Amino acid sequence: MARAALAQDGGGVRAHLSFAHLVRRFPDGVRALDDVSFDVPQGQFCVVLGRSGSGKTTLLRSVNGLTDLDGGAVRLGDTAMTRATLRAIRRKVAMVHQSFNLVERASVAANVLSGAVAEAPAWRVHLGWYPAHLRARACAVLHRVGLDEIHLPRRAAALSGGQQQRVGIARALLLDPEVILADEPVASLDPAISREILTLLRDVARERGATVLCSLHQTDLARDFADRIVGMRHGRVAFDGPPARFDAAAEAALYGAADMPTRPAPRLIEDRIYA
Amino acid sequence: MPDPRANDAPAMAARPPGEWRLPAPYGWRAALAALLIGLALIWSAQRVEIDRMLRLTGEAALAQVGLQEESQVGRGLGRMFGALFPFAIADRQEVARLPDLDRDALPRFTRIETIETTRYEMNPTTLQAEPVVERKEYLVHPFGYLLKVLDKMVETFEIAVWATIIAVLLSIPLAILGARNYTPHPALYTASRSLVSFLRSMPELIIAMFLVLGYGFGSIAGYLALGLHGAGFLGKFYAEDIEAADRKPQEALTALGAGKLRVLRAAVLPQVAPAYVAYTLYILDRNVRMAAVIGLVGAGGIGQELKGRYDLFEYGHVGTILLVIFLTVFVLDQISARVRARLIG
Repeated sequence: MARAALAQDGGGVRAHLSFAHLVRRFPDGVRALDDVSFDVPQGQFCVVLGRSGSGKTTLLRSVNGLTDLDGGAVRLGDTAMTRATLRAIRRKVAMVHQSFNLVERASVAANVLSGAVAEAPAWRVHLGWYPAHLRARACAVLHRVGLDEIHLPRRAAALSGGQQQRVGIARALLLDPEVILADEPVASLDPAISREILTLLRDVARERGATVLCSLHQTDLARDFADRIVGMRHGRVAFDGPPARFDAAAEAALYGAADMPTRPAPRLIEDRIYA
Repeated sequence: MPDPRANDAPAMAARPPGEWRLPAPYGWRAALAALLIGLALIWSAQRVEIDRMLRLTGEAALAQVGLQEESQVGRGLGRMFGALFPFAIADRQEVARLPDLDRDALPRFTRIETIETTRYEMNPTTLQAEPVVERKEYLVHPFGYLLKVLDKMVETFEIAVWATIIAVLLSIPLAILGARNYTPHPALYTASRSLVSFLRSMPELIIAMFLVLGYGFGSIAGYLALGLHGAGFLGKFYAEDIEAADRKPQEALTALGAGKLRVLRAAVLPQVAPAYVAYTLYILDRNVRMAAVIGLVGAGGIGQELKGRYDLFEYGHVGTILLVIFLTVFVLDQISARVRARLIG
């Protein structure tokens, strides 16, 4: 908790992840990132909010080089992101995806172990026979994310959405990443499961001192889980501060008054069901 | 505040839903293409004598049910089919040609049959035709020929298995080079795809004929020819499945720092494995059938036997061979269906 509190004010703590003047133009001329600069200190749970198309995903993907930048620089600790450092940075940065991105036909065990696919010796990867210490770690992280031995041989596709995201988190944790990028990790989950998954993500990150950059749709979840909220609008940082400062006015400014509700359709349906 | 929809579709003018135009299920281009294809088929039907084929087949069918005296097709095929039966199962050899045969200890299951044939010969002194009885002894193995055919079939199956192994080994690198999203260089992509097309376009019978010139008669030419041709199929299908595989898990592993080969192994292979098994089993099945054919040009296996018997007009033996080929293909099909069901389920 102390670290989170420390991280909240942001000032004075060494930047772990730093963005300087990021620019990303799409071929149609739209600027997905338009001069984005901010620093994320070590251990912070930083939530990125914004409408669809505001540049959240592009920002996250610039950290591990899944999106090329047209300008600006990303730094992880002392390492600047270049072609030469790409592989090294990717091994320290894990990603949790919106649609889980598991190999659906492969077993839970194989999916978690694939988190070490860049680390294990090539012959072991190709035989699918990972070293004992990685297999032991895979069991440990699966236990940590709340899955059991009975899940190990099951196909990923046979699990529920929440369980699949737990596998996704376990895969991300396998190599003890410094940074966890979570790209709308709960966008395809129901509200109760969403809270469980975000709690898990926050807790495992704290245990490891990992920095989290997490994009979300739901402002209520952002307020509850974030150490800090960065709001994006039209590829620019439109809000940056602790959740306490992210009030209704800030939300309205970020999303535009015309479509205030963060989860318009589902919320209406829920109200009707639970009324 | 701007309309929220403006962001998603800035170019669309707002119209009431009553004026919206749904896209048509097919356009005039598709209709025109269907018309042209139909015309081309009508033109082609005359060239390949579809009308004559239908007429002759109809006559044969009528003759079968007795509505017509006889038909050309029925006559030709009937003679052939009549000669196929009964299937020749036994093996018979003239004893006179077996100098080492020990009559007190015949090989297992065999017996000696004596066949008398009566001929009439002109007696030069009396100038009358007199009967002459000739005796020939045969060593008969009651199912000797069947065993020989089965042995040849096993050899054919071995050719098919090795051809499949060669095809798989050749097509894995070809598929990686020939998959647009994994090829190291566009030139290698083009080279790989061209080679695969070339291999596929060369009929295995022709490849086998050339290889027989190089490697001599026997199974080497057989499995090499089938393996090369099979690589032309598998290289194409493997590559297309790699291209079509779900990108999301591949991206997840790329994001973790994995190189292309590792992503292929960990994220693509599990997805494409069932289809690969299906293709490979199909190629094995096809190789068994084709191994029977390429034997015709001397590339080993049951085809060589088939060709020999056919040329000697021993249609009973031909019948046995065809039956064994059919049963092998049938059993193989049943087994591969089960393997597929287990892997895909």
